[in-house]
Amino acid sequence: MTAAEVLAHIEPIRHEYAEARSLILPALKYAQTEKGHLTREDIEAVAEATGFSAAYCESVASFYDRLYLEPTGQRVVSVCVTLSCMLRGSDELMERICDRAGVSHHGGTSEDGMITVQEAQCLGYCDHAPAVQVDAEQTRGPLSLDEADALVDELRTSPRPDQLWR
Amino acid sequence: MPIKNVVYRQREAGQVLTDLSDYRRAGGYEALRKALTEMDRDEAVYAFVRSGLRGRGGAGFPMGRKASFIPKDSVLPAYVVCNADESEPGTFKDRELMETNPFQLLEGITLAGYAIGAVRGYIYIRGEYEHQARILDAAIAQARTAGFLGQGVAGSGFDFDITLYRGAGAYICGEETALLESLEGKRGQPRLKPPFPAVAGLYASPTLINNVETLSTLPAIIEHGADWYAAMGTEKSTGTKLFSISGHVMKPGNYEIVLHDTTLRELVYDIAGGFRPGREFAAAWVGGSSVNVLGPEALDTPLDYESMAEAGSSLGSAGCIVMDDSGSIVRSTLRLAQFYRHESCGKCTPCREGTLWLERILQRIVDGEGRMEDLELIESLAGRMVGRVLCALADTGVLPVTSAVRRFRDDFVHAIENGGVPRPEPMMEVPVGG
Ligand SMILES: Cc1cc2nc3c(=O)[nH]c(=O)nc-3n(C[C@H](O)[C@H](O)[C@H](O)COP(=O)(O)O)c2cc1C
Ligand code: SF4
Ligand code: FES
Repeated sequence: MTAAEVLAHIEPIRHEYAEARSLILPALKYAQTEKGHLTREDIEAVAEATGFSAAYCESVASFYDRLYLEPTGQRVVSVCVTLSCMLRGSDELMERICDRAGVSHHGGTSEDGMITVQEAQCLGYCDHAPAVQVDAEQTRGPLSLDEADALVDELRTSPRPDQLWR
Repeated sequence: MPIKNVVYRQREAGQVLTDLSDYRRAGGYEALRKALTEMDRDEAVYAFVRSGLRGRGGAGFPMGRKASFIPKDSVLPAYVVCNADESEPGTFKDRELMETNPFQLLEGITLAGYAIGAVRGYIYIRGEYEHQARILDAAIAQARTAGFLGQGVAGSGFDFDITLYRGAGAYICGEETALLESLEGKRGQPRLKPPFPAVAGLYASPTLINNVETLSTLPAIIEHGADWYAAMGTEKSTGTKLFSISGHVMKPGNYEIVLHDTTLRELVYDIAGGFRPGREFAAAWVGGSSVNVLGPEALDTPLDYESMAEAGSSLGSAGCIVMDDSGSIVRSTLRLAQFYRHESCGKCTPCREGTLWLERILQRIVDGEGRMEDLELIESLAGRMVGRVLCALADTGVLPVTSAVRRFRDDFVHAIENGGVPRPEPMMEVPVGG
């Protein structure tokens, strides 16, 4: 993403914050919507748009689980593995999703680059355990093992959204 | 059923209140009108104090007292910050509020802002709640258009607006000072306290930080009166409380109950539907996961702050995770230890290293490589973490581990002597209740 695009996103909200530093996280999140992760150029665009150094912006980004500094698949599937979901089968679900996506049981990105599977900590959907989130947009559960297969297949074939909010 | 929907007005109304006109038909913004026209700021703070409302984010600190700590003579602007990070395991009550009743939160933040003389409110929402964030975005836009936010709120002389701020996946950003760091565009690591946020919070300005549920309770207190609110519950546990219940129960979900009126047994069996046939209660983490785990002897404890403390645990966020006798306490404890290891922000060595070691020791017990000395090692390790760290992540994160080793020692001994714990069959077949 370019600095101009990032600037167009943060300029309308600049007055809401007493210090411009607060714009870094919104800028990083927005810059990530294009590719699903933050490239060197994205970090530099955020730095230019916010007026902070690229090194600083990167150090902020590296703190947060949902900002990705390495390439991800087109869609990121986060499988909650925290206690309520574990009691309702999240370990089995994680393994099944990994198998279907063709990645190791620890998660990872499928060879075709379509899907990244990762473990997540409590998603706040424990009443829907075992719960799974696709990017940050869609949370589903309780998911049976067959539904998990269907989800992976669906993500493989459905078009990528215009923006990737993760 | 002892359900009483005071905060969950959407349930009382029988419909989602994501449209301002529906919220107003359900009585919405009456409290704000009343405060702006009939009460001065001190009277509003005094109402919060008299209501006895305690913070619903976990620590249970009296909300009105916190509001009264905001200095009146500060040259810096004051802020209200709403903690919508909701990441405590087992807790999903705020999600329902934001999803189905967002204006009540906006009204509550505005009331708090009026009471402390704030210029702006911020809602810090966890990044994983993107769906809820969009609902809040739309609600904020509607409230602005209708004049409930902006210059001269509802025709008064009070200027106030609300900004929604999205987090990006970090449990620690629920800790109030880490949240402020994150909101200031930094890595979300806790600050040394004091100074407390009431004196020097966001941008070093006086800042009132409260949980979504806490703030969403304020409209009812103003509208019906502090005495009406305080008449529910006990002297130290007033009002109603939202409970999230999950795990092995048949009807997981959110339920609002009057504090002290219901026991843990009633919550688990009558409200949440109990267990599958042939299964029995084994353990519960009643206040989210950062608490002492309780066994069957605690079932008749009334659900309120004092009684939970007497029973040796804490009401916390009231995210009640329940396990039946098909589960393994040793594996469940390991899973929680993994959570705290993953979420430690790494600033303090005892927490960064200690959470890692707790996980490793529990892992080897589960894997059948544990030794009897490991149980003492867990105790001494936890003892060397508590009180030597900056925030409650470590102080309370060790509780589910040490309490499990003490309360369910036989299970740990059994695992050590019998080659670990196999993965139990999970409960998968039961649909969503609530
Ligand atoms: C590690 C940690 C995580 C926390 N997470 C949350 C959270 O997700 N939501 C919340 O409201 N409070 C959370 N808290 C409590 C806050 O620090 C703070 O006490 C609370 O927001 C105050 O609001 P209240 O008085 O209305 O409860 C957390 C505390 C700690 C130590
Ligand atoms: S106790 Fe843990 S989470 Fe809290 S500040 Fe220290 S390292 Fe970070
Ligand atoms: S434990 Fe999985 S959503 Fe809460």
